[in-house]
Amino acid sequence: MGDMEKDNNGNDTKDIGEQTKNTDRQGKNTGRGFRGFLHFLQHISAVIAAVSVFSVIIGSTVVVSGMHGDESYSFHKDDGEKIYEDSRLFHTLYEKAAANVIRFGVIRSQLETDGQFNGRKVIDVTAYNHREDGLPRQYVTARYYLEDLLKWQKYGFEYSSAQMTNGQLWEFLNDKTMLTTVDQNSQYYNTTDAGYLKSDIDSYTFVDDVSSNMLPPLDDGDYYDEVSQEIIDIKILTNRYKTADDLNIEDYTSDPSVYTELCSNVQTAAENLAYNYKEYLSYQEYYDQKNTNVRYYIEKTVNGKIEYYTNMQDPEERPADWKYLYYSPSEMIYETNSLIEEESIRKIVKEYDYAYPENIKIWIGVDTSYPANDAFLQAAIGFRHYQPYLWQWVVAAVVSAVLYLMILIYLTFHTGKETDEGGVSRVRLSSFDKVPTEGALILAGLTVVCIFLLLFVLGNYLEEFLTFENVKEDWFKVVFGCSVLILEMLFSFFFYSLVRRIRAGVLWKNSFLKRLVRKISLLMWDVYDNGSIIVRTWIPYILFLLFNFLAMVLGFAGGVKLLPILFAFVVDLFVGGVFYLDIKERQNIVNGINRIAEGDFSHQIEQDNLHGDNLTLAKSVNSIGNGIKNAVEISMKDERMKADLITNVSHDIKTPLTSIINYVDLIKREEVDNERVRGYIKVLDEKSQRLKQLTDDLVEASKISSGNINLHFEKINLTELLNQTIGEFSEKFEQKSLTLVMNVNATSAVIEADSRSIWRVMENLFNNIYKYALEGTRVYIAIDDRAGENIQNQRSVEVSIKNISAMALNCNPEELTERFIRGDESRTTEGSGLGLSIAKNLIEAQHGTFEIQLDGDLFKVILTFPAV
Amino acid sequence: MANILVCDDDKEIVDAIEIYLLQEGYQIFKAYDGEQAIRVLKETTIHLLIMDVMMPRLDGIRATLKIREYSSIPIIILSAKSEDSDKILGLNIGADDYVTKPFNPLELVARVKSNLRRYTMLGNLNTENNALFQVGGLCIDDDTKEVTVDGERVKLTPIEYNILLLLVKNCGRVFSIDQIYESIWNDEAIGADNTVAVHIRHIREKIEINPKEPRYLKVVWGVGYKVEKQ
Repeated sequence: MGDMEKDNNGNDTKDIGEQTKNTDRQGKNTGRGFRGFLHFLQHISAVIAAVSVFSVIIGSTVVVSGMHGDESYSFHKDDGEKIYEDSRLFHTLYEKAAANVIRFGVIRSQLETDGQFNGRKVIDVTAYNHREDGLPRQYVTARYYLEDLLKWQKYGFEYSSAQMTNGQLWEFLNDKTMLTTVDQNSQYYNTTDAGYLKSDIDSYTFVDDVSSNMLPPLDDGDYYDEVSQEIIDIKILTNRYKTADDLNIEDYTSDPSVYTELCSNVQTAAENLAYNYKEYLSYQEYYDQKNTNVRYYIEKTVNGKIEYYTNMQDPEERPADWKYLYYSPSEMIYETNSLIEEESIRKIVKEYDYAYPENIKIWIGVDTSYPANDAFLQAAIGFRHYQPYLWQWVVAAVVSAVLYLMILIYLTFHTGKETDEGGVSRVRLSSFDKVPTEGALILAGLTVVCIFLLLFVLGNYLEEFLTFENVKEDWFKVVFGCSVLILEMLFSFFFYSLVRRIRAGVLWKNSFLKRLVRKISLLMWDVYDNGSIIVRTWIPYILFLLFNFLAMVLGFAGGVKLLPILFAFVVDLFVGGVFYLDIKERQNIVNGINRIAEGDFSHQIEQDNLHGDNLTLAKSVNSIGNGIKNAVEISMKDERMKADLITNVSHDIKTPLTSIINYVDLIKREEVDNERVRGYIKVLDEKSQRLKQLTDDLVEASKISSGNINLHFEKINLTELLNQTIGEFSEKFEQKSLTLVMNVNATSAVIEADSRSIWRVMENLFNNIYKYALEGTRVYIAIDDRAGENIQNQRSVEVSIKNISAMALNCNPEELTERFIRGDESRTTEGSGLGLSIAKNLIEAQHGTFEIQLDGDLFKVILTFPAV
Repeated sequence: MANILVCDDDKEIVDAIEIYLLQEGYQIFKAYDGEQAIRVLKETTIHLLIMDVMMPRLDGIRATLKIREYSSIPIIILSAKSEDSDKILGLNIGADDYVTKPFNPLELVARVKSNLRRYTMLGNLNTENNALFQVGGLCIDDDTKEVTVDGERVKLTPIEYNILLLLVKNCGRVFSIDQIYESIWNDEAIGADNTVAVHIRHIREKIEINPKEPRYLKVVWGVGYKVEKQ
């Protein structure tokens, strides 16, 4: 707000500009070459760091083609020094392959006969559906050819809802049910391996035709008629295919509920098989000998007959350098040269417990020469390509990142720094740094916008470009590095410019906004300072009122609107603040004036942050204060010089005076007969004594009035002091028949004063009385309390001494305390005329007041001291 | 008789002092600057030295310092400098007394006598006596009720004697007028009384050479009276 401040700032900006020009001419500075190198190093380390981080991220993952599209795997941190076949990556793949193969074996056993897909394979639907949870003891089933079920599922199962009477239903269904029973006593039945996929169920089941118990006896005609007329809702499955026995589903049972269940079994079996068939096809493709490096051989014995599933030409060919595992739970054998543990294989096999009998034998190997291009080979390429260098990339990334940060910090503190010939360091601004701050900001913003625009425009192209294969290529790193270099250089350019601006302190100074604010505020202050009193008071006030009125109208016309009211509130708050500051400034000035008035002439009112009239006022007060201060100082100095002069002169006077006094005294001792000569000697004696007194008083008076005395304050009892003084003067007063009357009315007459000085005052006052009081009169001394009459409202003690003057006092009281003034202007009597002046000065030096009152011949001295 | 060296650059002052001291029967040696004074001190046995401060070649303060390196004779400084600070300086560097110019010749003579007495009597005092109180040259024998200043008897009234004894016994302590009154008259003080002050002034006039600048019985203005420890 201060226009003074603004002026200074303006000059500063210009100065910096000139300084920079000078340094440009000076040219070289040793630090600059080094910093240039650092800048270069910074760009390089940024690129290295970015490329290294990129490589670590890209290189530490590998994407392989899995069963269902691409799968990505990360390198494990423990794989650092290992060869591929011992790595976690390999074993992850291996374990996955093992699980897949074991599942594939289960699917194959459902769809194949003798290792080949068999469409004519007969599927016992109910037993198939119970393949996982075991066969019930008795059940109704139907057998279909596998291909029929698959085709049926593809085509879809169609039901028709029918309403039939019982009679019609009996017509539709068979009159008996074909019930299959499990013979648990059969020699082929084995509790552990009982199951559709693990055993030949035909060997221990038999089929009975059972007449339905539901049918009432035929002779009960009436009842029969009645029941046969009952209508039943039933869903009937359209028989798209016949069973292997060339029957329809309804031919297997006489019970409608069994019929419905059987229909559902057929459909469920078809659904499961179709799903498995789909899986079967993809597994077959994926684990075809040509497409995979995995070799497997799964063997199980069902009903004494060995079944096996493999993708090997020769199951016995198992080279030792392959990775392999062999699992045979019945023989309790688990063999492997991999790190896969028996436990994990057992878990997988257990999942397919329903399909694998205990006599299962599983061998899964991986051809480590990787002839086929499968996940193992792809992972191996990725691993071997990156793993040995991964740590080097990490180290490079960390080192260059740290280096980058260190240089960034160092340059942040040292960029542009240079030392001139005088050893003063300052910040050298580049030509860009001199561009106004807003310009630089806009340029930086534009750069960012351009980059985003570029990315947006190239978006589609980039998406195609950024495929995994491209990213993996070495040339991509070069492209990436170059992009990072460009971005980093742009960043450095703007960043260091910002840093230099801040360090040189021109970020704000060198901005348009600052110039604008300054121009406006200057203009406003100009109008204000130069305007008449009307301009300065009524115009702002009217504007303020108008503004509030407008805000009210806008804010409350047609419903309350918050914005104008809020704005008016803010402006009012601002105006209030301005008023507050103005009054505060004036208060400061008033305080300052008070301090000067109280005698602190060296006090100066702070002129910074003052405006308008207050500034003028403060300046004037300060210059008045300075004037007074100088005057006081000069006068004090003069007094001191005078005191010194008087002291020195008095020393010079004293030496001859000593001789005069001594020789006058010697003459006095001589026997002088001449009466006149004795009279002369007496005059000489008196006048020489008076001269001595005069010189002493003169020195003292000048010292006191120049403030050249040391006072040692202590507690003084005025009553005691007056008694002592009276004691000292008692005989003198008796000589002149002066009677002393003392009245002590004060509760406590204790004050703070210098003991010797206050005695000097009393001595002078009593000597005065002795010299000038009318003989035979009374002298009154009183000590009184004076409550709170001084500035600090403190209780004070007053001593008044009254006497009758022997001569008429034809002068005013003030003059009596001036130097060299006595009651008689003829100056014939004894005394230096300094006594009252010395007394007054001494009392004032001890914070007391000294007053003389004259009333005819009554001479009254009043001393007041602040009480303790 | 004692030999006294008078040293001042003002010949007339030296001559005047010589006249006064000769009348008292002392032998006088004269010097006109500090160096001369030191030379005379080396050549002759001197019992007391009166010396000015402001002198050519070697001033009185430096001369006193040099003399105090080997001699303990009484030195009275005689100076036109009358400030308290000048007196304190002179007494601190080893002078025994300080007289300001212009001086009263009789006072100077009295001080010379007093200093010489104290110098020659030193060590002769009977300290065995329990009733003997001594402050500097002031001695009170409570058995004989005798008061001596530098060996000279002083006549005091009984009240004056009791006041002085009280103050000397409690050397250094300040007594107010009321306290003195109560302990001497054994009566309650009714304040505002200057009897004690008058007595004190009388004592000072009897025992002090210059009652206005007392050496023993000092007035603490506005507080009371005390006898200063020496």
